Amino acid sequence: MDKGLLAYLLIPLLSAVIIPFAARTRPKMADILANVTLLAGLANLLWLALRPSMIAGGFADIPGDGLSLLLVAAVYLVGLCVTFFSAYFIEEGLPNRPAYYSLLLVSVAAMTGVVTTTDFFTLYVFIEVLAVTSFALITTDDSSAGIEGALKYFFLTFPASVLIIVGIAILMMTLGSLSYENLRLFMASDAPAGPVTFASALIMLGFIVKSGVVPFHTWTPDAYQGAYAPVSAHLAGIVTKISGVYAIIKLATLLRFFDGRAQALSEMLMFLGMLSIAVGALAALKQTNFKRMLAFSSISQIGYIVLAAGLGTPLAIMGAVFHLINHATFKTVLFLNSASLEKSTGTTDMDKLGGMEHSMPWTSWTSIVALLSTAGVPPLSGFWSKLLIILALWESGLRVYAVLALLFSIVTLAYFMMMQKKVFFGKKTPASERVQEVSAPLLAPVVLMSAIIVALGLLFPYFYAYVKVVAERIIL
Amino acid sequence: MIYHTLLFALAAVFALWAVMARKLLVSAIMLALVSVCVSLIFFDFGAPWAGVFELSVCAGLITVLFVGAVSLIRAEDEKRPENRARFYALPFAAAIFAIAAWFYLPAFVEELAAGAKIGSGGGSIGRALWGMRRPDLLGQVLMLAAGVFVIKSVFPRRTQSK
Amino acid sequence: MNIFSLDWYLIAIIMFVGFYCMLASRSIVRQLIGLEIISKAAMLTVISAGALSNNLIYAQALLITMIVIEVVVVATGLALLVKNFRLHGSADIWTLSSLKG
Repeated sequence: MDKGLLAYLLIPLLSAVIIPFAARTRPKMADILANVTLLAGLANLLWLALRPSMIAGGFADIPGDGLSLLLVAAVYLVGLCVTFFSAYFIEEGLPNRPAYYSLLLVSVAAMTGVVTTTDFFTLYVFIEVLAVTSFALITTDDSSAGIEGALKYFFLTFPASVLIIVGIAILMMTLGSLSYENLRLFMASDAPAGPVTFASALIMLGFIVKSGVVPFHTWTPDAYQGAYAPVSAHLAGIVTKISGVYAIIKLATLLRFFDGRAQALSEMLMFLGMLSIAVGALAALKQTNFKRMLAFSSISQIGYIVLAAGLGTPLAIMGAVFHLINHATFKTVLFLNSASLEKSTGTTDMDKLGGMEHSMPWTSWTSIVALLSTAGVPPLSGFWSKLLIILALWESGLRVYAVLALLFSIVTLAYFMMMQKKVFFGKKTPASERVQEVSAPLLAPVVLMSAIIVALGLLFPYFYAYVKVVAERIIL
Repeated sequence: MIYHTLLFALAAVFALWAVMARKLLVSAIMLALVSVCVSLIFFDFGAPWAGVFELSVCAGLITVLFVGAVSLIRAEDEKRPENRARFYALPFAAAIFAIAAWFYLPAFVEELAAGAKIGSGGGSIGRALWGMRRPDLLGQVLMLAAGVFVIKSVFPRRTQSK
Repeated sequence: MNIFSLDWYLIAIIMFVGFYCMLASRSIVRQLIGLEIISKAAMLTVISAGALSNNLIYAQALLITMIVIEVVVVATGLALLVKNFRLHGSADIWTLSSLKG
């Protein structure tokens, strides 16, 4: 466990416990406490990472391996956007408002635990906490779609935990320990790797199921579509990424995919990644529901991260980490925009919407920024991460994968353009008449995230320096 | 040795029974018996702490939760019984799996076991939990907090409007 | 065949029964029962691996945490079941089909 970042786990937990008592008589206290906790944490993290002296020194003094710090910042950022959005989104009568914020804070704490731990079993424990909070969050609004999404998520991802546990048992038996460091040292040595690789493969398979990579993606669209609107941004933006994809990237670095000791596993992972990209993008083309289309797009983007993690060279890992962060920013924007649309028009069905550009200009423009970033249009941040991934593939001689990744990037642009045309441009439909732009507080998180997308794209050299430090530390 | 293997076999039989039982209540009770077998296996391995936890929590608490939930939905469940054919096929499927696994699995597991790294095995359970697995204790606290909030959120206090 | 591989052979059978239950059943309660059976089998692998490699104390420390997790997971599953039952009046997983595509 990374001691320096422990406070980022404990303070949200403490706050989550305090909220039900503080909000007993004044429900608004719950909003305020949750927002203040996350804002304070984020400010503290930014001070840690973005001090002028730190930037001038090329981020050489970052504590820990740098990756945890970056991901904790992403968790806090998305968490803050979601709580701030929820504070103005939730209707007055929602009876379990304090419980909702407590669960959000516990899930932030659990994600912090996931990214700061250095041991497989602790990783598993925190991931289960995260999963349990997600089920309750999905069903917040008591809708039948929500409960259906939650049940599918429950029954399709928990069997994966068993694979992880069996993997952990074999790892304990053959490695004698469960810490990341021991696995890294073992893989760097010349000992025969058979059983340890098998155990890691089981653990990785479990995380592949949990992250919704293609043969195991059936729960993803239902959970995202059925979830309570701000929660789907939380889920798609960060929860499933931390609970599945992060562990895959971590394992890819620990198993040293780049020096070919787990060749078969690496190739399987790359194949599944490519399959996800293709299936997600093609399925997204024919969706009519905005949130469901975003869910399939999410599967496709996860594919890029998994593909890069499977390659495992330092450049590819940099691309994967960068794309993870980018995915958190642009998916949060898109899902929060879908929540805004739902609030003002009452539907997310793309056939019923149209001509929203004039009545909801802010929502429309932030969506354009986010979707261009997803599709990888320069100079937005998504362009750089996809460029890194494709370059890494090309450099390793995997020309076919590189070309396919590029092609499906164009498909991404195509389905998002179709979405934009249907929902925001074109003629007004009956459902879109007399629609007002949502209030400014609901727009603030979206505008903030869009600004971050543009800023990350324009200030790419600084971010590249940071990710380079991370890649050097976690691989070497 | 005989006792040890018998416990494993009993656990398998009870598991089969729990799946095959027509009534959900019987299933829940058979699940409790699986738990009891598992906890006896823990004792047999010389792991009394895990055994006690398993017996009190899994065989006790979880069974109570299951019986409560089953009694709530039983009337509805009996109105629309499931298609039983798939469950009657289970013993055959399990037998086919057992025979197929007999040829491959033990050899594979022996290969895994050959790579085992023998640990020191010293220390006490309290020291192991506190000294080596302290982050897990934090995880447990977080898990219990999550459980409380989940229950609070899924079953809100009845408001006046309802 | 030594005792360790016999144990794991039987564990594999228990796990198969659990997975079969989860695949074959439509009832949410039965799905949960299958999940419980699978996780019991997973616990047995941990203790058996711990006993083989003389790491019994360590394995017990893991098991205690696993049991706590299991209780909360099962309680969550049952809570979802009861909520679903209140909303739909059924405990059948395949009547849930409002989301398609």
